[in-house]
Amino acid sequence: MTGKTMTNTTSTRRGANVALLAFFGAAAIAAPAMAQNSARDAGAEAFVQTKAQRVITVLANKGMSDAQKTQVFHQAVDELADVPRITNFVLGKYARTITPEQRARFTPVFRTYVESVYQSRIDDYRGEQLKVVGSVVNKPGDVTVKTVISGGQITQPLPVSWRVLGGGQTWKVVDVQFKGIWLAITQQQDFVSTIDNAGGNIDVLINQLQKGGSAPSGRRK
Amino acid sequence: MSLSDRDNSLSQTANGRPFAAAGLAVAASLAMFAPAMAQQQGVQGQSVGTTAGVEAADDPLEGFNRGSFKLGMGLDHVILAPIAHGYMAVTPRVVRNRVSAAVYNLGEPNTVMNMVLQGKPKQAMRSTTRFVVNSTVGVLGLFDVASSMNLPRRDSDFGQTFGKWGAKPGAYLYVPLMGPLNVRDGVGRALDIVTDPVSIYVGGFSTDFGKARTGVTIVDVRSKADPAYHALKDAADPYVTTRSAYTQYREAFIREATGAAEVLPDFDAPPPEAPPPQGTPQDASPAAPKP
Repeated sequence: MTGKTMTNTTSTRRGANVALLAFFGAAAIAAPAMAQNSARDAGAEAFVQTKAQRVITVLANKGMSDAQKTQVFHQAVDELADVPRITNFVLGKYARTITPEQRARFTPVFRTYVESVYQSRIDDYRGEQLKVVGSVVNKPGDVTVKTVISGGQITQPLPVSWRVLGGGQTWKVVDVQFKGIWLAITQQQDFVSTIDNAGGNIDVLINQLQKGGSAPSGRRK
Repeated sequence: MSLSDRDNSLSQTANGRPFAAAGLAVAASLAMFAPAMAQQQGVQGQSVGTTAGVEAADDPLEGFNRGSFKLGMGLDHVILAPIAHGYMAVTPRVVRNRVSAAVYNLGEPNTVMNMVLQGKPKQAMRSTTRFVVNSTVGVLGLFDVASSMNLPRRDSDFGQTFGKWGAKPGAYLYVPLMGPLNVRDGVGRALDIVTDPVSIYVGGFSTDFGKARTGVTIVDVRSKADPAYHALKDAADPYVTTRSAYTQYREAFIREATGAAEVLPDFDAPPPEAPPPQGTPQDASPAAPKP
């Protein structure tokens, strides 16, 4: 077993390590590997390559002011993301029970909130180049496009995945994943918990988002 | 914070030979009795399935964990955050990147060990080569020369190894100053500490090297995690956001080892209604206007 070559037995503790390696190593080798899926969607990949790269380029542009970037990002969101679908998704089970009046209040509040959050997360890394490295068809019309962002302040290539819905040449992003963490899924759990803890009162969430999350001055510069 | 960083070294202070035996015993128990030696749910050959909603968190100790989270965030606010912010203020990014590379390099032998345990000898060899090259040509790991030699970083730890063997995460835990955990990764982290080859062969926390390494690691991890702390301020419920992000992060890390397909929730079908803790949305929200 390969692990045995790593250590010697000059001490009891080292001996324990060898035993550990040997035992667990053997168990690991016995475990079957899972197969990777290779289905891809060229249309979804092209959409992300073009639209997401544009957003990355704008946010990495040192010549633009923060206000200009926010303005361009605001415009880009409409062609990049399916905001109504995201708005519905993040409400989770409460998407079934929200009243029309509450939805009318929640929609613009969430739009402002989500723009700020998505811009902050993408801006955290200040990468410059986006390269599509593959995609996975979750089901027809539902594709996860895998990209790597590099350049700028990024020292190690950063994997970012984009979940896009649509078909043909028409796609929209509904979620973005950094380091394994999907933003919309996280927001859904955050929002549903907040509403649950308010006894089901969706207004509490709306008011909290209007204030800017858990911290009134939580928005980062 | 450990939302997005490989942060096992935050807890390097647990230098304890007594912990070693206990850790091994617990780990062995976990590996052998975890119901999940039985492999994950992912369907081979089908990339991603869909479910009605996001999986409910396994958090039976939520009340306790929320208290720990509050305490942990308070301690971070008065202890770790000021240190990290001071470090970030006086140290140029390029220097911080070198420090991060050196800290990361010292974790490479642990990665090698886990790659072996996961039955990945080729990857273990690559990580070994990375460690040798970066420790020498890369001047004690300050420069990641190996990445430019087509030997990119590949992380691993005992939590991932247990996941690879099929162990389920178990209950979620929040430990102040260590951050979010679950049973599987908590045991894994204890093992990462007590079996760390660099601590064993170069020097653990009882040595000056070990103390310096621990201190630098804590400051490095906390400063790299600063964006995650900022992100938490955007959350309506920071506790749940932390739990969700940590859970997703670790599961993605384990999928890297298993190759299992990711199961995503159906985006257009809200999950079936489940009564919230204090009643259903309809009858428990007198303040919410009815249509």
